[in-house]
Amino acid sequence: MNEVKLFLGPQHPGMHGNYSVHMYVDGDIIKKARPTPGFLHRGFEKLMERRYWMGNLALIPRICVPEPDTNEMVYAMGVEALANIEIPEKAHWIRMLVLEMARVAIHLMSLGSIGGPTGLYTATYWAIAQRDLLLDLFEELCGARIYHMYIVPGGVRKDLPEGFTDKVLAMMDELDEKIPEYEDLILKHPVIHARTKDNILLPAEVVWELGVTGIGMRSAVGKEYDLRKVKPYAYYDKVDFEVPTATYSDALTRLNLKVRELYQSMRIIRQVIDKMPSKGAVNVPVSTGSALRWTVPAGMVYSAVESSRGEYGYFIVSDGKEMPYRIAVRGASYPQGLLGIEKYLKGHRIDDASLWMDSMGVCTPEIDR
Amino acid sequence: MNSMNNTINEIKAALKPLKMETPAFRQIAVVVKPDTVHNALSYLKQKGFTQLSIVTCVDWIKESEFELVYILFSWTEGIHIQLRARIDRDKPVMVTATDIFPGAQYYEREVHEFFGVEFTGNEDAAKPLFLEIWDDLPPLRKDFDPQAYSDSKFPMRERGNEFVSEIGGHDDE
Repeated sequence: MNEVKLFLGPQHPGMHGNYSVHMYVDGDIIKKARPTPGFLHRGFEKLMERRYWMGNLALIPRICVPEPDTNEMVYAMGVEALANIEIPEKAHWIRMLVLEMARVAIHLMSLGSIGGPTGLYTATYWAIAQRDLLLDLFEELCGARIYHMYIVPGGVRKDLPEGFTDKVLAMMDELDEKIPEYEDLILKHPVIHARTKDNILLPAEVVWELGVTGIGMRSAVGKEYDLRKVKPYAYYDKVDFEVPTATYSDALTRLNLKVRELYQSMRIIRQVIDKMPSKGAVNVPVSTGSALRWTVPAGMVYSAVESSRGEYGYFIVSDGKEMPYRIAVRGASYPQGLLGIEKYLKGHRIDDASLWMDSMGVCTPEIDR
Repeated sequence: MNSMNNTINEIKAALKPLKMETPAFRQIAVVVKPDTVHNALSYLKQKGFTQLSIVTCVDWIKESEFELVYILFSWTEGIHIQLRARIDRDKPVMVTATDIFPGAQYYEREVHEFFGVEFTGNEDAAKPLFLEIWDDLPPLRKDFDPQAYSDSKFPMRERGNEFVSEIGGHDDE
């Protein structure tokens, strides 16, 4: 038959960031797919070697655009492990609050972005609008909507503003009312069902082969493989929450898990606000002298947290100087975004290609870096 | 913590590493000789470290060595392992890990592109990935100078006043 080469991207409404896939198609079916990353390669790893430990804070949130706080958290955890310091109790609680608020924000965004590849744009408008109200809270917290630079090595930058927790709780009450509406709109919509049910399967063997983590892994393996449970950081071992799982992973299952995780994040936020001490320090210095000239003891450490798409990690090397010697970033969607596309996109229809990227949670800035 | 100590002792007995340490909470760093990396990876995978989180490289230019780093994770025990090995910087060659962890494919391509490490057995490792038409040293090596590269590729252009008036900017009169 006649094979035709088609380009998906670098711009496409169903994708997060610029990414290109070369597809060799026969009729409507993809016969071969080649990922072509690099459109968002900004050389972060090299840039970070040439900046001070604190100066890097301006860079790291930009590595994964929709999920800045995860980056700040892994970086801070790694530096703290190298410097061997304990951060104050309240800082742990505030970090958890910020991380879970960020998780709600990104889950809302990725839930709504299912509208891109399926054409259900109402979902996008609703969810992004709701996320914007959450970003207002971040703006009040640290002055920035997207790139917060709030979680720093040694704790968090400043204590919470007065009355902040009440506003967060009010937002949680609002979400309690709103999320069922999104469920009605998205999860029960016939268009979404037609496109996602029994489509884009992710069997457990593929999970292990590629190294997929996060919702993809939990929806296929059926175990609570969440770093917050398996290897708790901050105070995740002091709050109650469930990790939703499934044993049959199609695109609809993964959407369902995303919504169920939203409720769990809100449950964590309420507990955090309940248990957080009202007074106390929120940061400690990592080293002596000006924060811009801190030194970090020599060593190599890998730090990882559970992002919305899976294990997000930094491998940090210090040689005891004022700048990091090397930082390697493990983007959470690296396995499915490169090898996954090469091996498992074939066999799908052309119109499912962008749905494939969306439901597998491919985030291109963290792949390119 | 018991399982952590057990794991450390078992790894010590089986791999006979050059060095072992615990750099962070539930994390073990194991330094081995480069020719035993492949065996160590398959041993660790059998021990339950079924997830390869990242393969990366550190350029120790003063010692003229590259240090390859494999980060593995065990979901049952919740322990991260750094498996590290140093190879010669002038002739950097390592056996591929793709037969044990198929997911290593693209990490090896990345390490090849950014550091110039050859992976024997991985035919695709030498293909370009992120960089387009790259014609200089692998850019994450410490002796690569981004400023010099940028200056040579994008020379400074002198602009006179006529350019400013051409685009409708300032008027000199």
